[in-house]
Amino acid sequence: MKIEYLPHTADIRMRIQGNGLEDLFRAGVLGMGNILKEGICDQEHIFDRKAEIEIVAADPTCLLIDFLSEVLSHSYTEKSVFCKVKFLGLSSVKGVAEIYGKKVDGFDEEIKAVTYHEAEVHNSGIGGLQTMVVFDI
Amino acid sequence: MKIRKGDIHKIEDYLWEIPKSFRPKMRVPARVLASEPLLDDIMEDRSLVQLVNVASLPGIQGASLVMPDVHEGYGFPIGGVAATLYPDGAISPGGIGYDINCGVRLLTSNQKITDIRHRLEELSKEMYAQIPSGMGKGGQIRLSPQEMEDVLRTGAEWAVEKGYGKKDDLAFMESRGRLGNADPSLISEMAKKRGTDQLGTIGSGNHFVEVDYVEEIYDTTAAKAFGLSKGQVVVLIHTGSRGLGHQVATDYIRRIMAAMPHYGIEVPDRELACVPFNSEEGQNYFKAMCAAANYAWCNREVISWEARTAWKNIFGSDQSLKLMYDIAHNIAKVETHRVHGEEVGTIVHRKGATRAFGPGFEELPEVYRSVGQPVIIPGSMGTCSYVLVGTTKSQELTFGSCCHGAGRRLSRTAAKKQVNAPVLKEQLKEEGIFVEAGSFKGIAEEAPIAYKDVNMVVETVAISGIAKKVAKLRPVAVIKG
Repeated sequence: MKIEYLPHTADIRMRIQGNGLEDLFRAGVLGMGNILKEGICDQEHIFDRKAEIEIVAADPTCLLIDFLSEVLSHSYTEKSVFCKVKFLGLSSVKGVAEIYGKKVDGFDEEIKAVTYHEAEVHNSGIGGLQTMVVFDI
Repeated sequence: MKIRKGDIHKIEDYLWEIPKSFRPKMRVPARVLASEPLLDDIMEDRSLVQLVNVASLPGIQGASLVMPDVHEGYGFPIGGVAATLYPDGAISPGGIGYDINCGVRLLTSNQKITDIRHRLEELSKEMYAQIPSGMGKGGQIRLSPQEMEDVLRTGAEWAVEKGYGKKDDLAFMESRGRLGNADPSLISEMAKKRGTDQLGTIGSGNHFVEVDYVEEIYDTTAAKAFGLSKGQVVVLIHTGSRGLGHQVATDYIRRIMAAMPHYGIEVPDRELACVPFNSEEGQNYFKAMCAAANYAWCNREVISWEARTAWKNIFGSDQSLKLMYDIAHNIAKVETHRVHGEEVGTIVHRKGATRAFGPGFEELPEVYRSVGQPVIIPGSMGTCSYVLVGTTKSQELTFGSCCHGAGRRLSRTAAKKQVNAPVLKEQLKEEGIFVEAGSFKGIAEEAPIAYKDVNMVVETVAISGIAKKVAKLRPVAVIKG
């Protein structure tokens, strides 16, 4: 798993890589969590929040973006940052998962949305998958 | 796709065009309103590529347009205008943005800067105490499900009815603070949940509440009509529909993307996802967007109530703030415009662009009708903001639209690298600008260096004739998330 933050004029551009689809989704959740609260997903936690997500989409790219959008919505309604994902099922068009997070007093960054802009899940060339994710800040 | 200077034709000193022939899928030319130095700046990021993509939207009329404050967005550029043919042209949630009805309002006081300068620090702290700001912060109001329905349906009227606003304010808002097509039943439970405790909050990013004074008057007739005078202290508010609006946009971009194949629509970027305005999906989005826009107007009215409370706490209960105008800069409206000499119904998408109608517009309060619609252009903290007035030329050239701010030039990361926030805060204080913010990171990201020169942007729109300068505002206190 690899997460890189790249410049964007107004927003945040993140490149994620994973060994497979599950790993890529986990990288997305971790990368987003660390934007919401710097470094929070790099620490050991006893998670006190859990939510269930079920997403159906046309392709892996839409599935990833919709999945991250759903995690983001739960972050705001639960005032929590979600770092851990347990997949109950994941194909290229459907994802069912439990997400685990930690309640926070506030966020370091307010992400308005996870956008589809520049997102394209594709082979990384080193045996895994990668995509760009642009967040509207 | 790369766009080179040679691909751009100069039409006038401040108007540039990428012709329809530039790319086969373009349905109209793409036009840039900018001085040459600003155009060179604009070419640094991918704004123009995004503008060309917008020119391929089904039913687009005239030209896809960007204002001089444009910068790269996601799908649509920020600072763009796209008008599509009513009723079956495209409606695209990405052309409005995630922060539905993000906008600005200006409140005027009867205080002069020379009389209150010694109380500015006290005022900024009181404003910061009264107005919830920052990431994920809730407000003082917690809406019941019925109250949420009422806010989404009636907008700023709800705040007035509940004692959080003034009845006189309503006439001084774009669309009187309420879009009639709103349908709360089309807003998801998740969106409503996110909006439950966010009325009266400014959020973070580039949103703020600012105390300014009128430094210069350019148009005495318009300034008099707007109630502005040199040295007068005013309050500027910039925010939108908060998490509720973000969720509405997220929900509908997803649905509209799924519906596109049914209408045979393909777009070069998923964030340009669109459907015919008169389709079921198009109408559902439009009515949901109207409801989210109403939430935003209600939000800015409640924030005004908080600012008014702070004002009275400092200056006494006989002192108040009067709403000069409230205007959206992320919205879609059905409007009639002249295209190739004929009046046509259009769906005007303004994403980071402000409506700028000229004199005679019926919706305007009577006292403004002879001069035109106020246009409020916030700058960055530490520089200045402007009040402009719309013109009939904007209706000929830009579908009645104008710029919406200075426009970013540095990424947040670059700004954080270049700016020492505690030092900047002290420097601003020495210049007489008090900054109250939730974090130093927020100050660094929004530092003046991160933005284009607002003076250049405003000069460009003024010389091009789409708006006239009325007054220049200088900040003295900034409240940020």
